[in-house]
Amino acid sequence: MKETTNRPIPEIYKSLYEEKVKGESLFLIVGDLNLKGKYGESMLAFTKDKLFAFDACFENTFITIDYKDIEEAEVKRMYGNAFFKVKLKGESKKKNILRFSYAAAEVADAAANFINVVNENGFSESEVEVVKSVYMKQRSFCPKCGRKLPKPDAECINCSSKSHIIGKFAKYVAPEKTALIVCMLLSVVATVLSLVPPYITKIMVDDVIPNKNAKKLIIVLVWLLAVYVFQYIVNGIRSYKLRITGNKITLNLKKDIFEKAQYLPMSFFDKISTGSVINRVNSDAGTIQQFIMKISQEAVVQAFTLVGLVIIMFAMSWKLALFSLIPVPIVVVVGKMFSKVLGPKYMRLWRRHSAISTMLADSIPGVRVIKAFTNEKKTIDKFNKFCDEWYKEDRKVAIPAAIFPSIITFLVTCGSLVIWFLGGNLVIGDDKDVSLGLLVSFVTYASMFYNPVNFFANIGDTYQNTLASAEKILDILDAEPEHDFGHDNELERMQGKIEFRNVNFAFDRSKKVLSNINLTIEPGDIVGIVGTTGSGKSTLINLLMRYYDEYDGEILVDGVNVRDIDMKYYRNSIGFVQQEPLMFRDTIFNNIAYGSNVSHVEQVLHAAEVANAHGFISKLPDAYDTMLGERGVGLSGGEKQRVSIARAVLKNPSILIFDEATAAVDSETESLIQSAIERLISGRTTLMIAHRLSTLRKANKIVVVDKGEIIECGTPEELMALKGKYYKLIEIQSMGEQLQKRKAEENFE
Amino acid sequence: MPRYVEGPDIRLTPNDVIFVDVEFYTGEKFTGVELRRMFPITGLTKYIALVDSEGEQIAIIRDLNDLMEESRAVAEKVLEEYYMIPRITKFLKMSEKFKIWMWTAETDKGVYTFEIRNHITAVKPLYDGRVLIKDANDNRYEIPDVKQLDKKSLKMILPKI
Repeated sequence: MKETTNRPIPEIYKSLYEEKVKGESLFLIVGDLNLKGKYGESMLAFTKDKLFAFDACFENTFITIDYKDIEEAEVKRMYGNAFFKVKLKGESKKKNILRFSYAAAEVADAAANFINVVNENGFSESEVEVVKSVYMKQRSFCPKCGRKLPKPDAECINCSSKSHIIGKFAKYVAPEKTALIVCMLLSVVATVLSLVPPYITKIMVDDVIPNKNAKKLIIVLVWLLAVYVFQYIVNGIRSYKLRITGNKITLNLKKDIFEKAQYLPMSFFDKISTGSVINRVNSDAGTIQQFIMKISQEAVVQAFTLVGLVIIMFAMSWKLALFSLIPVPIVVVVGKMFSKVLGPKYMRLWRRHSAISTMLADSIPGVRVIKAFTNEKKTIDKFNKFCDEWYKEDRKVAIPAAIFPSIITFLVTCGSLVIWFLGGNLVIGDDKDVSLGLLVSFVTYASMFYNPVNFFANIGDTYQNTLASAEKILDILDAEPEHDFGHDNELERMQGKIEFRNVNFAFDRSKKVLSNINLTIEPGDIVGIVGTTGSGKSTLINLLMRYYDEYDGEILVDGVNVRDIDMKYYRNSIGFVQQEPLMFRDTIFNNIAYGSNVSHVEQVLHAAEVANAHGFISKLPDAYDTMLGERGVGLSGGEKQRVSIARAVLKNPSILIFDEATAAVDSETESLIQSAIERLISGRTTLMIAHRLSTLRKANKIVVVDKGEIIECGTPEELMALKGKYYKLIEIQSMGEQLQKRKAEENFE
Repeated sequence: MPRYVEGPDIRLTPNDVIFVDVEFYTGEKFTGVELRRMFPITGLTKYIALVDSEGEQIAIIRDLNDLMEESRAVAEKVLEEYYMIPRITKFLKMSEKFKIWMWTAETDKGVYTFEIRNHITAVKPLYDGRVLIKDANDNRYEIPDVKQLDKKSLKMILPKI
């Protein structure tokens, strides 16, 4: 039978394990640290009634502890490492039995919980299943690339599109294939035309001028003019076409990046700065465009020119042609060195550039705060520092970026000197194969020949620069989007029953934010969620909104796991009024209609009426056409709040969530908002996070959250009778209110 | 206002791997106290909070260096245990497959291989030459001075910072 373990059993414990535990073992935790905190191997094996701890620090390498001797098992998370601790009955200190880095933290949590539950309720197979499901989740790796999958058997986003970086951008080029081919053909024509003039030079030097043939001179010049005219017309059309095509490619790329960014989970935006995303959409897409154009156009043309020139040069004089090839290997080697030196430097340069964008995205919207704290100077200094850093890094790139092409050009120039020297000698020596005209046109061809060589030698620079940008873009394009496993699965009519079952959640492994959340909310319930700041109230809502899907346990709505419901339908069924509602730069009307498919104006007006917003909006000079500035500048906090309630009204949701909707407004506005809320919630399941408990007077159920756990849950009367945390909160607040009232009365008198 | 304590005001004695017992000059005693850095990145020895078993903060030590010799040694020992930030002395290997990087490094805690998903967010260079690294499992690592690394390691890490 295969063991349930997070990592393979360490070799050093294998025989001991087989001898002592095997057969009985239910699951194992393999740690990556020893108890002294050094990297090493350690292990816990769990059976029905005891655990075996293996660590070289123990006297006989392992110890056995019966569950019945354990008062409590826990995982103590520290910084970058954690202990599995057990408190033995009759002992005051907890004993450390396993140490591990965060890699094993989740399974350790499950195991500690297992011991505590077994001690409380006795052993049951279902508890083992709970632990094993955590292992399963841990083990949901793509068999090909090892990337963690959001759920077992899910398709690995990495492997489904594993072509090379450049290949991934091919799909943007494909629709423009025809246009690109036309451009390419035009380029070929232009190139062929550009090869003609030097040949005409030869005719003039060797034939027309020495023979003093004025008539032929005119004919030749007319031909030359015709070639020039044709060449520039072709070039003109080509550049026009190329620009249009190139922009279309970037356009689609930008659209895709933006679209993808919209569907990325919140956890992506927690880790990455806004500026960095902006940078990717704007400048990185441009870099890619340049490169695609360079590869699809210039590279082809240059290759064509190269081949054409080689043929012409060999046809003219194989001796001279051979000599002019001498610098080629040197140019190629230097070019290779060039890319190697520049690659990492461009990556670093990109980081500096991104830092500037991040700083901009941070400080420009925050300009009010900067002014309020008269922090302009500091902000400028910081910005200057970032710019200087960029400049410093750019200078480092500039040195090789300037020197290498010069070296190459120098080599090429030396090549032409060699041809002049050898060819000159041949002409002076009256060689029958090499005439003066041939030498002159040959030197022109030779200098043209180094253009493509130079191009291919330098392409490394562009390639490296592009690669840095491409990687950043792929960061977004290849990132795991929000998972919509239940796509198209819509509930017939959402009743609004909500259940949290054994929900555990951590933003990262260093700190658990929610633990063991079990909660049932019936349709039509009005639930108040209370607790101190940072207790996990908002996180609870974030999970319900499916902003974060990486939690353990299940959240069900009407008995269906929310992960299996169509995301769009699901979020549309929930009205969410936030503490600081965000307004978009648009009219008030559009801000209310935001996110709903409203066809009738009166529906919007009605929503505003219900939300107590119609009154103030109609008093504005531009009424519903009032343009709101960025982030809703022009409205007060309470007004914005009512606009956002109107938004929720318009959605006609089955579930309503208010996240401290009245926290930031005065009491008069609060009562306006409160009456709007009360009109809105009738018949809907409502969750209200509230700071002021007076807001919750309509609630028929109160949930008290503390340190990520639900500590009290029941009707307000039950909780008052319990005299627990809720009772205390009510006491404190009513005391505060009384005091305030008394003070107000005193002042009045 | 937090209660600040200066060097000679308190005495720390070891209790467990990450806990200490604290005695103030006023005679107050606490057992099973944890030490937490208020500035785990920028101030390793400054502003160390003393937290009791309930998670409540008892006091803040302004500077560890002002403590009495034995107390300071005790504090340093527990902090070293609590804050596991292996110091990377050498990079042995960096391999990439489908944009998931496996870095193998020699650290003061031994050789370890860890996973980096995105080195743009995972690697943070500081101005003083330190480089902080956070792996896919949220474990932390530190390169004390990037310039002190050997040539081969430097070549591996430089493009990432």
